[in-house]
Amino acid sequence: MESSTDAFFREVLAGRTPVADQLEKIHGLAWEVADPVLLDICRLRIAMLLGCHSELEVLNSDLDSDKIASLSQWAASGLFSEREKSCLRFTEEFIVDVSQIPDSSAFAVRDHLGEEGFVNFVNALLVIEQRIRLQLVWRKIRNEVSV
Amino acid sequence: MTRSQRVASTHFNKEFRESLSLWQEEVVQLGLVDPVTTEVVRLRCADHHDCYT
Repeated sequence: MESSTDAFFREVLAGRTPVADQLEKIHGLAWEVADPVLLDICRLRIAMLLGCHSELEVLNSDLDSDKIASLSQWAASGLFSEREKSCLRFTEEFIVDVSQIPDSSAFAVRDHLGEEGFVNFVNALLVIEQRIRLQLVWRKIRNEVSV
Repeated sequence: MTRSQRVASTHFNKEFRESLSLWQEEVVQLGLVDPVTTEVVRLRCADHHDCYT
């Protein structure tokens, strides 16, 4: 089923069908190649950090509600596994400055997910991050234009 | 900061990799931004992401 975010992108990219199609395709594949619960945790954390409220209203997995409520304190929380914590740490560093992620963070994720899982996770994270940043910019532009 | 090579290969999921490339190709072919600016941004992003493809 198409989400409100999918519909938003279709609307913004109306008349640019190839771009819209490819964006939809890579987004779908991101959720196929990565663990959807793990990716959803990271997606919500990105949305929190970037202030994307529309994305915070969406849930793409069976993520535990207690975990969602504790997500901003994940580092000190006992609800998150070491695997999830390694991915959240990597995600936060990815969002702040992708060129400055330390080896220790990258190797921790790789150790938990394996090489293939690590590569897929990073590519999926890239898609999720791009989609959220695009949403933030396009929603702002559309609001300003419509005022 | 020094960065080690983190994986031996990034060639795992062919469909995902090719789809990401197609998405990027479609984006840079949009005519809304002039080609020189597009290329400058593309190269800057590639450098920042350590992408040599």
